[in-house]
Order: sequence, then C-alpha cells, then structure tokens
Amino acid sequence: MSETMLVARDIRKCFRIPSVRRETIREQLLHLGRPRQYEELRVLDGVSLEVQAGETLGIMGRNGSGKSTLLKILCGIYRADSGQVFRHGGITPVLELGVGWNPELDAIDNILLVGTFMGLALSEARRSVDEVLAFAGLERFANQYLKYYSSGMASRLAYSLAFRAARDVVVLDEVFAVGDAEFKARCEKRYAELQSEGRALILVSHEPGIISHFCGRALLLEGGKVRLAGEAGAVAAAYLDLLGARA
Amino acid sequence: MATRLPQGAFGWTRWLGAIWTLVRTDFKVRYHGTVGGFVWALLKPLSMFIVLMGIFSYVFASSRDYTLNLVVGLFLWDFFAESTRVGIISLHSKAFLIAKTRFPRWIVVATAVASPLVTLAVFSAAVVLVLFLLGRGPSLAALALYGVYLLCYVLIVLGISLAGSVLFLRYRDLNQVWEVVIQGGFFLAPIIYPLTILPEKVHFYLFLWPPTPVVHFTRMVLIQGVAPTAKGHGLLLLMTFSIVAIGALVFWRLAPSAAEKL
Repeated sequence: MSETMLVARDIRKCFRIPSVRRETIREQLLHLGRPRQYEELRVLDGVSLEVQAGETLGIMGRNGSGKSTLLKILCGIYRADSGQVFRHGGITPVLELGVGWNPELDAIDNILLVGTFMGLALSEARRSVDEVLAFAGLERFANQYLKYYSSGMASRLAYSLAFRAARDVVVLDEVFAVGDAEFKARCEKRYAELQSEGRALILVSHEPGIISHFCGRALLLEGGKVRLAGEAGAVAAAYLDLLGARA
Repeated sequence: MATRLPQGAFGWTRWLGAIWTLVRTDFKVRYHGTVGGFVWALLKPLSMFIVLMGIFSYVFASSRDYTLNLVVGLFLWDFFAESTRVGIISLHSKAFLIAKTRFPRWIVVATAVASPLVTLAVFSAAVVLVLFLLGRGPSLAALALYGVYLLCYVLIVLGISLAGSVLFLRYRDLNQVWEVVIQGGFFLAPIIYPLTILPEKVHFYLFLWPPTPVVHFTRMVLIQGVAPTAKGHGLLLLMTFSIVAIGALVFWRLAPSAAEKL
C-alpha cells in the first residue's frame, strides 16, 4: 500500500472584503468609531483531498473556482479558516508560474536563494546552478538580472529549479503553459521521472488533455466546492461540459 | 535529476544555508553587486567613525570624554534607528519570497538587521581600539558587560521589528509613524547630552525608551570604567524580555496570514 503524502480535510476559506479600505493608521484614526460593512467571499467550502506517493492528482476548475487559494493552503502559504492539512514530507511549490524570484538579483543568485529556501543545501544549490540553467535553456542569461527576463524566461527558470529541488510533494500550477515545444518536451520527460521516483504530484491545468495524460485522479472545483472527484479523464470531460454549459 | 530528501532533512543546517544566502544577497542588492560593495559595507562605518572622532575631537578639544560619549551614542543610536527601519518593512520587502514559498517568516525579520549589525560590529572594534590607544583600554569584565548590552539591544530591535513587520502589512504608514518616533526619540535618549544634566526624578522615564539604558550603560563601562547598579541591569533585562515577548506574541498571532496581506 502506498504512503499518503498529503491529506486535506474539509478546507474552508473566506476572504472578508471591506466596503471601504483602511490600510493606514491615519485612516483608522480619521474614521474611528465608524463601522465598516464586510462582504464575505467564500473561496473554499469544505474541500478534501489526499495524494499518495507516486500518484499524480490533477485539479481543474474555471477562473475563480478556488484553485490558487487551495494550492496556497496546501503549501502552507495561506492559512485555512477551518479544516486540516497533514503534510507527510516536504512540498515544492510553483505557484502562478513563479517561485519567488528577486528581480534585483541575477539568475545565479536567485537559484541559490530560492533553491536553499526550497530545501536544497547551499552546496547542493551551488552544484545545481549549471544544470538548472541548462534545463531552462538560459545559460547565456546566467548573469542577467531577473527584472530583465521576460515572464516566459522567468517561468522556465522557475520550473527548472523546482524540478531540481523537488521534494516529496511537488505542486505545479500550469506547468505546460510556458516555453517552446522543446522545453515542454523536457518538462514532460522530467515529469515522468518524478512520477517514477515516487513523488506525489499535484498538477493544476486548464488543459483537459494534460490532466487526462499525466494524472490518474483529478478534482473539479466549482464555486469553492469539489464538484467532481474521480478518474482524470472523466473529470476532464466534466470540465469541458462545464465550460460548454457556461458558454 | 531530482534528489529525494529524507523526511526532516530540511533542518537547521539547511536553514543556515538559506539564511546565509539571504543575508549575502541582501548585501549584494544593497551595494549593487559590486566587488567593492562588501568592502564598502565595512569601510562606511569605519570612515564615519574616523570623521566624527576627528571633528568632535577638534570642536570639543577640552573634553575628550564628551567626544567619546557622543560618538558611542551616535553609533548605538544609528544601529537602533536603521535596524528598526529595515526590520519594520522586512516582510513587505520580501513579498516575492513570502507569497511563493513556505518557510519560517521570522528568518526574514532576523536577517534584516544583518547589515546594521555589521556596522555596529565594525564600530565596536574601532572604539575599543581607540580606547586602548588612549591608554584607557576597558577591562575584560567591561567588554563582557558591553557584549551583554549589545545582545539586549539586538533582541530589543528584533522584538520591535517582529511586531512592526506584521503590523506594517496592516497599517501601511507605520514606517512613517515610526520615523516620527525615531526623530523624537533621538532627543529623548542621552546621545548629544549627558544624562546627568537632567533632574534625577526624570531618569526613570527616560530609561523606559529602549536605547537610553543601552547607551548610558555602554558609556559607563567603556568610557567611565564603572559598572551600573544591579537594579539598572535588572531593568534592562526586564525591558529586553518584555519587548521580545510582546514582539514574538504579535508576530506569532499575525505572521501566519502575512502572505494574504501582501
């Protein structure tokens, strides 16, 4: 029986949107005693999931369905209002096509900085620099500041580093949405390697073909709830039906 | 290509590598990645020390103690002002990392004081050297006490920075308010004047402003060669503990939602 790497139970998250924003001490003092109205935006409403070692779980859903918030809660970046997340190992996240680059540093320093925060030992991060740059096809831009990178270049570097620093659970948001055909082919190969090594993978995509091809199981999120959970092909088809129904 | 890490391997040794890389890259950004940048980080406080000592020794030629007191006060104050300034905005300035990666947020706040700490270390070495050159070298006990005061000072700064960094994400003008506090606080602490010119009954209240006991006690042990009272030490330790405890409590309560406030 395979080992459960990540379990989320009954995750709920609500953002309170104030009618008037008061983000300074001055505004707070000027409007002291004047109550504000809040609109409650329920982003996640009782989402549960679990991922086993060696398994790939796909997550689909339209924009605003709660995918990004769910990933951030699973990765420990956001805190859920209620519910529990059990992580039985380290997580390597690539969220919204990025890993946390400092635009004022060049690619090498960024690999060292983010790589060590992702879990690589400093010596290991130093040894990985050439490999990460080569995978992203960015060797010529090693000393270029990230602020001069295009968004595609920055994303390629992010995935390249995440693949190198991959820990027990890897969370990839739209991994196949960046780069040219050659880079995508490299990503697919690496992705298969990660699967064969027994990592638990969570893959978010809007592409039904990608979910069907790479994932065994998948979830379809809609309005912060799991609308369907099951075999990836069936979930991908349900996602297409959902889009068709809304169109 | 990918390396499987055993569970729990992301321990202290790995965090040390991350902390070191964060400090090093912060220095690099601050000094624009120049080779001379790191040297300048050391030369800046040293040159400031030489300039201030030279000018004040000339202006206040009749009182060498006043010059030493003034320089010690200015550098200790500069550490407090600079480190709390960068500490308060530290989480916000590392938004790129906090929004994407999971790690203990206090690391960002703690490493923010690294640069001011280097300045303080260089200054400390310079002032002790000058005292020895003047034939007034402090005893080992005095140096040990100075070390304790610096430790308290750093902890006080950390406490303020921990609370300030999470509160800044909720109140975006907190740094401007703190700037006003810093401006006023400069005159509240006995930096350009000796504490003894004020009536003794107000001393207690001045000692509630954190830099005051550190500046005053440092001058006592390094320049005057006398030890403060046990009561004074007790007050400093109590103040340090209180500020760190309050700062840590505020941080512990608010830091988990820091990424949502960026």
